Amino acid sequence: MIQLNKLTKSFTTKTGKGFKKETFTVNAVNEVSFECKPGRIFSLLGANGAGKTTTLRMIAGIINPTSGSAVVDGVDISEGNDEVKKRIGFLTGSTGLYERLNPDETLDFFGKLYKLPSEELKERKEYLFDKLGINEFRKKRMGQMSTGMKQKVSIARTLIHDPEVLIFDEPTSGLDVITAESIIELIRESKADNKTVIFSSHIMSEVDLLCDDLAIINKGSIIYNDSFENFKKDMTAPNLTQEFINRVKEA
Amino acid sequence: MNEIFIIIKKELTELLRDKKTLINSIILPILLLPVLMFGVIKVMEMVRTSNQEKSVKIGLVNAPEAFMKLVKNDTLNKVTTYDESIDFKTLIDDETIQTAIVFPKNFASQMDSMESSAVQIYRNGSKDNVNGRVSKMMSVYGEALEQKRLTQLQLSSEKLTPFREDYVEVGEQKELIGKSIGGWIPYIFILTMWGGCLLAGIDLVTGEKERKTIETTLSLPISKFKVLFGKAIVASLLGFVPALLNLVGLVVGLRFIDGIPDEIKMALSEMLSFQSITLILLLLIPFSIFLSGLIIMLVAGATTFKEAQSKASPIIMFLILPLVLAAMPGIEFTWATVFIPVLNIGLGVKEIAAGTIDMTLYTVMLVSLLAFAVGSIYLSYKKFSDESAILK
Repeated sequence: MIQLNKLTKSFTTKTGKGFKKETFTVNAVNEVSFECKPGRIFSLLGANGAGKTTTLRMIAGIINPTSGSAVVDGVDISEGNDEVKKRIGFLTGSTGLYERLNPDETLDFFGKLYKLPSEELKERKEYLFDKLGINEFRKKRMGQMSTGMKQKVSIARTLIHDPEVLIFDEPTSGLDVITAESIIELIRESKADNKTVIFSSHIMSEVDLLCDDLAIINKGSIIYNDSFENFKKDMTAPNLTQEFINRVKEA
Repeated sequence: MNEIFIIIKKELTELLRDKKTLINSIILPILLLPVLMFGVIKVMEMVRTSNQEKSVKIGLVNAPEAFMKLVKNDTLNKVTTYDESIDFKTLIDDETIQTAIVFPKNFASQMDSMESSAVQIYRNGSKDNVNGRVSKMMSVYGEALEQKRLTQLQLSSEKLTPFREDYVEVGEQKELIGKSIGGWIPYIFILTMWGGCLLAGIDLVTGEKERKTIETTLSLPISKFKVLFGKAIVASLLGFVPALLNLVGLVVGLRFIDGIPDEIKMALSEMLSFQSITLILLLLIPFSIFLSGLIIMLVAGATTFKEAQSKASPIIMFLILPLVLAAMPGIEFTWATVFIPVLNIGLGVKEIAAGTIDMTLYTVMLVSLLAFAVGSIYLSYKKFSDESAILK
């Protein structure tokens, strides 16, 4: 379960010429509230720069909110990022893998930091390697792998500690259809395992395939938040993409 | 603590699998000093041999018989005799001759009447080999004439030497050499250390951004401080180890390379005793942490290797200037200089090499370097925690 209550993130930038300095504060995310339930897939939609990544980074404990609160699997993020991070599997287009390590070393590294007992780590690693077909290249360095191979290892890395909450930030961005399919499959399986899943995207076909609940974020604020079923019921445009564009323009 | 070790192990594994790091941090430091020593000795030998074999083209005017004989005895000299003084500058410029010695016409009579004469020597000041050989001939000839005059005057050379200076050296050879060349030793360590820390610091922070792994690292269930501390330890290790290997290279070079003068070999061996090396290495530990923290702080906001290099490179000026000061005479290791980083290491190593280090000052320096190391780690942590810098 993820509960967000008026979560806000401000960034301050300083500009100036000579001795004249000016400070600007921009709310990248402004009082965002929503709830993601276990066993359901929550989609966070928004254009580039709308605040999706900042919101997900705050939930994942990568950055701290300026105000508001978020409770992830019963832990308030303000109580300590490390406890929240242990409950989360975080996969984005920019969570790359360490190029000079091989899959075995990568999963050992993550497993140890998630404090998995060595026997459990070994079993979990073997299970994921079998399931994702990593065994044949488990000793190959990441830098020498294809994008598809890397994506499989990324998925294994995300799931090594069997997290209750999964966060995907534009996970299929830049991937070919076959590699993207593995991510979509992972999201579906996570739902079946009663995990809480949140993913951001602007690819409407993916949203249509996976989504149970959704929120649309625009300029840092939530402009729509309901079930996907209700969203489709209320649609006035002929397709999802057009409906999304219309709602963003109206906001 | 265990988490920091996991980070250190992972970062070290990654860095040591990078050929660039391996060459710069391990192979080059071991080979640098032996190759440098061997190279310098060989080059000096070659220059000396080649200078000895070079012929010198000398122009002579009114040269006395005895001097002509002296010049011709050295078969390498090619002598051209001129009847009168001409435009020797042009002849030297167009390399017809390399030097010209012009005796006055009445030189013989001046010598007979025991007058003081003036011999003009045309030369190019930059030609050390030619000038050295001519000076040597002139002084041999001058001494012979001087001796002749003393004999004629029935004077012994003792009578013209009212006293001689006998120096009794009370300082040890180690102290003498330590004070003169000990100031240069930190150059080797600190510059190598700088190179190692810089390369590792950039790879561990900016490199992660370039390889798009920084977000992965920040999603780990450990504090940013532990991540940063692990990285800083690895960067300082990759600065410290090359400095240590430099030292190993120096000791091995001294033992196995022929041609190093015995007195220098002995003094250096004495300077690099177990005690001295331990004292120097103890200083380098906090200093490498200080340097790593400083570099990480500077490069945390950079997004490319090139940008990181341009941000961190100016630090080298703050390393070289104090080292130059430390090597200059007159600047001593005192309470006024003990707190200035780099300068204190330069001066301290000089004292350690000379065997005259004041242990109270040494302890104060060590503590001050530790304080600087803690300060730089704190500042690098602040920068590493700056979300807008690290996730840029």
